[in-house]
Amino acid sequence: MRGSRAIDPQLLLERADRLSRSAHNATRWPYIAFIIALGVATSMGTFAMALTTGSGFGLAYTGTLVVMFALIIFFMISIQGRAAFARSPRWSAYIASWFVTYAGALAVVIWAHESVVLAAIASGLILVVSLICAAREARS
Amino acid sequence: MTATDQHPRHRLDDLLQNAVRFSIVAALDRAGTLSFKEVRDAVEITDSALSKQVASLEAAGYLGVGKSFAGKMPRTSLTLTRGGRIAWKAHLAALREIADELNR
Repeated sequence: MRGSRAIDPQLLLERADRLSRSAHNATRWPYIAFIIALGVATSMGTFAMALTTGSGFGLAYTGTLVVMFALIIFFMISIQGRAAFARSPRWSAYIASWFVTYAGALAVVIWAHESVVLAAIASGLILVVSLICAAREARS
Repeated sequence: MTATDQHPRHRLDDLLQNAVRFSIVAALDRAGTLSFKEVRDAVEITDSALSKQVASLEAAGYLGVGKSFAGKMPRTSLTLTRGGRIAWKAHLAALREIADELNR
């Protein structure tokens, strides 16, 4: 560094790594927790909806909506003061990926009701995509 | 002398040799995007000092600065650009080479 030639480059590299990790860890846990929980809840919810009818379907539908609503409230509260990442392209890509698989699973619920194989694939895909997004963010 | 023969110190990025700018970019390396407040807390400097260094990194194209409002409160987000990431990686690579030379 200018004016501080005695600084060991190895120390600078270690400092950069430490700072990068601590800044990431301090701000990302609500995002990672949210995307995992959202994936699990919507995956199980759509699977339950695809396999049930009548009051069972109503219960699965309402339960999924309630859990999603609770998760969104948790997320909004926990990212207060650290919401910058919520407006980033990376987070938008994660949410878009989840939404595409969720829309696919809802399409299965509507058009292929009670098809166990399709419901399992579509719901499993929501879970897999959410977990990949969470793992990618945790390891970034 | 070719570029590859040069001492790695010649490949250090001038802008990133400042300790505060180095720390700002380090904080954004993994996170990608952070709020002004998050970077300020990570780097442990005052708002005015951070503003000054962010302006120079933004002018060099290393950082993107986003402005938004939450009610009447302004919110500033800082994002490491592709150019900034490339410069950061090159700077770290040069530092690693220097560290390796010192360890030989």
